[in-house]
Amino acid sequence: MADTASDTAAGMPDFSKLSNDMYQQWEQAMTAWWDQVLDSPDFLKATGQNLSQVAHARKQYEQAVDEGLHKMHLPTRQDLVRVARIATLLEERLLQMEDRLLAMGDQLDVLEKETIQARVEAAEARLEMREKLAELQARLDAGEATAAPATATATPRRRSTAKKPARSSKTE
Amino acid sequence: MTDLTAIDQTIELVRYLAERPVDRARTGQTPHAIIHRQNKACVRYFHPRGGAKHAPLFVSMPLINTWTVFDLMPGRSVIEKLVAAGVPVYLLDWGRPGVEDQPVTMVENIDGILMRALDRSRRHARAHLGTDVFDVLGYCVGGTFLSIAMARHDGAARRMALLAAPIDFHKSGRLSTWAQPDSFPLDDIIDGFGNFPKELMRSSFAWLRPMGQLTKYKGLAERIDDDGFRELWAAMEQWNGDNVDFPGETYREYVRRCYFDNALMRTDGDWELGGRRVDLSQGTIPVQVFAAGGDHIAAPAACRGIADVWGGPVQTMVVKGGHVGVCIGNSFPKALLAWIEQGGAPTASTGAVAEAK
Repeated sequence: MADTASDTAAGMPDFSKLSNDMYQQWEQAMTAWWDQVLDSPDFLKATGQNLSQVAHARKQYEQAVDEGLHKMHLPTRQDLVRVARIATLLEERLLQMEDRLLAMGDQLDVLEKETIQARVEAAEARLEMREKLAELQARLDAGEATAAPATATATPRRRSTAKKPARSSKTE
Repeated sequence: MTDLTAIDQTIELVRYLAERPVDRARTGQTPHAIIHRQNKACVRYFHPRGGAKHAPLFVSMPLINTWTVFDLMPGRSVIEKLVAAGVPVYLLDWGRPGVEDQPVTMVENIDGILMRALDRSRRHARAHLGTDVFDVLGYCVGGTFLSIAMARHDGAARRMALLAAPIDFHKSGRLSTWAQPDSFPLDDIIDGFGNFPKELMRSSFAWLRPMGQLTKYKGLAERIDDDGFRELWAAMEQWNGDNVDFPGETYREYVRRCYFDNALMRTDGDWELGGRRVDLSQGTIPVQVFAAGGDHIAAPAACRGIADVWGGPVQTMVVKGGHVGVCIGNSFPKALLAWIEQGGAPTASTGAVAEAK
């Protein structure tokens, strides 16, 4: 680089820059030319025809090889493809069964959670009921306690018999 | 530019190429696990570093190349950046179809392989991450297929992003000029070759920009003393040369409907897959389109086409890079992460688990 700089300073052309510029101009020209060629309908049609012929030749070659193998009682490419395809379809069937099993598992999960939720709700309802009963019992006891001094002297025997059923219902 | 003279560059270039760097390049190095397989396809799961901070992302890769373009090399990997940001990634790798896959149809690929892969990813995420709310991303043909799938199964994902995914095929540049029914012998090729051959695919892409074959070597020569660039060049070359066959019947339907008929842009068309009409207006989830500014395969105009037909809101953004370069630059990963962050933290499951709650 230092040499080039000194050459330029001495009035010599910068060959590095010159070659770079030339390359860029050439690249631009080539790109424009290729663009014209690659977008040209004639070129595309010719390429398509060429591709088509290659594909036909390939098909005929494959058929010839298959016929040869068939005559020798050997499995052909088509046979192998068919077997591999069957394996793929079997895998698909298995995966479909797996899909169904997973979907059933999902449904069971939902059912299980719904069942657990229902049982929790039932238990909560029973607890609530028990608390209400306890509250009622407490209120009844309190009511009887206030009523007791008034009736104690008059009917002592009836009071003791009246409390027994209430006590038994509490334990239930 | 380097301090080397043109002769030194050429000598270095020849010496470097003689070492066969393309054969030695290693791609797809981010650790992952395969969680599902079907035929040649599989789902690769990349666990987020430091736990999941975002909703899982399901990625549908193109069928014409390998998935490693999203994980080319450390520092140049979309997957690596996503994983580092706490995004669980489920990547659909379509695999390498063989001759036996010639009869595989488009509906088998979309409703069978793609949707099942998404289902298995969702189940995996539900079991391991506690969420099955998914965002989906499709790249190139994988994006085209994904958009068809999301329109047919609306609500299967929360949001969809498309990267360089053509929808308005008649605006996809030189490829649409080439893929004309009167000049492109589609039926002859599939009947003759079975699958669309990878060699033909590779040369087609090379001929899209013939001078590109020369300029890539010129570019390498100019930066031949840059180790990082050389490594990236070799990895890109390996990926570029690693095309896969396109399943024949799928290719026949794809080219006929998308390139010949431009059927995705019609909401009143007669294209049916598995007895159901293909109609993108049936999809309603929000869509984010990322188009690459310098894309010569899926031009931005072709990617923006979805905005005219999709049934839900569509936003478009042009990111820096070409069709492939967009995956190795910083512009797209940054934009993608911003889009992912808009989705917020991963939310609880909405599937069977959530229904039971």
